[in-house]
Amino acid sequence: MTLGLVVGGVLAVLAVLYVARPFLREPAPASDVLDEPGELERRRLELVEERDRALLALKELEFDHRTGKTTDADYRELVGPLRRRAADALQALEPRAEARHERIRSSR
Amino acid sequence: MAGLGRAALLLSLGLVAYALVAGSYAAWRRRRRLALSAQNALLASFVSTLVAAAVLWSALARRDFSFVYVSEHINRSLPLGYALSAFWGGQEGSLLLWLMILSGYAALAVWLNRRTRDLIAWVVPVLAGVAFFFAFMLCFVSSPFKTAPAPADGAGMVPSLQNPYMLAHPPLLYLGYVGLTIPFAFAMGALLSRRTDERWIVATRRWTLAAWTFLGVGQLLGAHWAYVEIGWGGYYAWDPVENAAFMPWLAATAFLHSVMIQEKRGMLKLWNMILVALAFCLSIFGTFLTRSGVINSIHSFSQSPLGGWFLGFIVLVTAFSVTLIYVRLPLLRARTKLESLVSREAAFLYNNLLLVAFCLTILWGVVYPLLTEALRGETRSVSKPYYNFFLHSFGLPLLLLMGIGPLVAWRRASLRSLGRMFVLPLAAAVVTGVALIALGFDSSIPGLLAYTFSAFVAASIALEFWRGTRATGSLVRLVARNRRRYGGYLVHAAVLLFAIGVAGSSAYQTVRERGLQRGQSMTVAGYTLTYEQLAARQEANALATRATIDVSRGGSHVTTLYPGKNDYPVAPGGPTTSNEVSIYHDPRNLGDVFLIADQIDKGGTLYLKALVKPLVNLIWAAGFLFVFGSLVAMWPDAVEQRRLAERYAAGAVAA
Amino acid sequence: MRRSPARLVIALSVAAALAVFVVYTAVAGAGTPQIQPNDLARHHGHVLLVGKVVSAGGDAHSSGGLRFVLRNVTGHPAARARVVYHGSVPDLFKTGREVVVTGAMSNGTFVADTDSLTTKCPSKYQPAPPKSTT
Repeated sequence: MTLGLVVGGVLAVLAVLYVARPFLREPAPASDVLDEPGELERRRLELVEERDRALLALKELEFDHRTGKTTDADYRELVGPLRRRAADALQALEPRAEARHERIRSSR
Repeated sequence: MAGLGRAALLLSLGLVAYALVAGSYAAWRRRRRLALSAQNALLASFVSTLVAAAVLWSALARRDFSFVYVSEHINRSLPLGYALSAFWGGQEGSLLLWLMILSGYAALAVWLNRRTRDLIAWVVPVLAGVAFFFAFMLCFVSSPFKTAPAPADGAGMVPSLQNPYMLAHPPLLYLGYVGLTIPFAFAMGALLSRRTDERWIVATRRWTLAAWTFLGVGQLLGAHWAYVEIGWGGYYAWDPVENAAFMPWLAATAFLHSVMIQEKRGMLKLWNMILVALAFCLSIFGTFLTRSGVINSIHSFSQSPLGGWFLGFIVLVTAFSVTLIYVRLPLLRARTKLESLVSREAAFLYNNLLLVAFCLTILWGVVYPLLTEALRGETRSVSKPYYNFFLHSFGLPLLLLMGIGPLVAWRRASLRSLGRMFVLPLAAAVVTGVALIALGFDSSIPGLLAYTFSAFVAASIALEFWRGTRATGSLVRLVARNRRRYGGYLVHAAVLLFAIGVAGSSAYQTVRERGLQRGQSMTVAGYTLTYEQLAARQEANALATRATIDVSRGGSHVTTLYPGKNDYPVAPGGPTTSNEVSIYHDPRNLGDVFLIADQIDKGGTLYLKALVKPLVNLIWAAGFLFVFGSLVAMWPDAVEQRRLAERYAAGAVAA
Repeated sequence: MRRSPARLVIALSVAAALAVFVVYTAVAGAGTPQIQPNDLARHHGHVLLVGKVVSAGGDAHSSGGLRFVLRNVTGHPAARARVVYHGSVPDLFKTGREVVVTGAMSNGTFVADTDSLTTKCPSKYQPAPPKSTT
């Protein structure tokens, strides 16, 4: 009975400490704002996902062609637009990568 | 000690309440430290719930009958393993198991994704909200820590629960049910944080696959238990509680497939949100059905006040999901369209429609008695013919689709390429069909169709592996580089085995029942069963009566079987008799000779029911392949992990 | 294809599924009524009878069958139903248990379908053997 009480008490105290930990560690932080992806970051994520989708689609098309699932005619028809999509996505990301490196360099 | 258990649960309740309220506020007002604090509270709730669970387990192990729960579910003579499994044997304990798994999953999911702060900031309150409901139930409505003056011995465990399958079935099922909460929370979190990217899908892909696998295996174990332990000769009775697990599994199957479309093509965003919410709501609905006794089911728990609370929670969750999805509709616009009705995307779409339609017809069948009673004042129910009709209507096309899907290319498949791909599987199907008709298997049209479609699917999967190996040079390299696809094909192969097993053991089974005197015989499907003698033996807690049945075929002895009954003088609810079936696994047809001693007269007349079920063992074998395929599909791919890490981590560098 | 056929596919499929469903329920009949002993007088066709066993006797495998009397589970404490049954008897069947059986009234006695008797579990988490041989 007393053991239960003690264990329960210790547990409660530890829990409260753990919950309060962020405030105890940083009583006066420079910024308490929760980051959320800004417009730039959202756009970047969109582009990255688009790029990955295009690259994956190309890879699968190649594989389907190699295993005979896609005929030569179908392959020729589909590969062009896919390559263009992938190229577009890669290119759209490039200036951003440039801009990001610029920001990192200037912030140092 | 019960006091510690109660205190631990109250602590859990307080922690998740804090995580819910503070977490929502922090996410809304973008307060970093408060969000982190809420996250910590959620993590801490797992520890306090574990403590509560440890208290109950220790009480069971110590046979502490001052705990009402312990005295109601075990007794002194029960072996330790079963005593511990009584944890989930009753209402209160199973709720605690649910909370324990939920808080464990929540802690792990949140911890693994802690760097995506804005998403997690909303995921935490959603998870906390669900946990709050269960913690509240445990603290105030259905507590496992009620105490009373300890009786000399407990009520004991129902005999049919004392077997290995019942040790594993509920925990596995719960690992599945509860696992569906994670993708739901991440989906809602994505909507709440207004994210349009696929982060939530990437984060929860393996969770969903794992939960789905656990749910599938849990159901299979339950079916096997029913087959060998309850022993009526079947493994699924379309009972509401069985359906309660099947429905979320079907919704999760649809979700697993359609989520692939969203990842590849950016389509079906709205559909996926609806599906993940449906799967989660069905999992809660399922446990509501099991506990509330609201449907006339042979599995229902005793009528309890829990039903009302659960119903309220389901209504709340449904309203929340629908509202959120509606409000965030603009975020869910697809950017690409379906290019062709003959493409793998389209095949996935058809698969989804069939799965969801099947799921909804089962749901309709389950709630039908409730609806008719509410609307017409008279309760009506549907049964096997209803469910079988839809199993055939939707299941057979689904089976065929499993074979067609892999053969069709993404985006667009020309008829010429289709023709080329289809030739061999189609030939396999036709040859099989003709051979089966010639052998007389056309006695059952659904069975014949199932076998023919299965041949198509088997050929299609085999060809995929063969072509792929030819293109990459090695089978291992093929699978290693395309884990999801080929793991998926293995899972399809498992479903195929399962379908063949079900078709064989139901459409082509033979059942005979006769009253036999000693020395008499009966025949069933080529076997001759001779009733030789009857013997009774006193076992630890039961009187075991067994009939000796000689099984022979074509004049030669095959095996001896011992169906009978066990009489338990001491059991919850009074003296009980249980059916003890005897099964012979026939290697010739991978089937079973299943004997039930239906009734044993005082005079020694045995009413023997014999079932010959071809191919039934494929059903259980399928389980192993199912798990293996899932593991392959889930196995982390270092290259892909790196790519994903780079994709989502890079953003954090900015600002 | 310029316009997405996805919506059309979905709409048509939903319509098809509903059609299958409506046809089924219309043709196969909309379920079996689930009633208690007090309602038996009003129902002449095939029903699902739910009740608590008051007394039982006879042998389900003999020509005379198992004969038992059911009373209401809820309400109408005086209502009784006499049932005659042939087939498998679930192990949990005994006086005081709640049972479910399908059949129809015939000359004052409820004649049950063979092998249709199932029992409701007396306590939590215990399934009783159903009749179906899936």
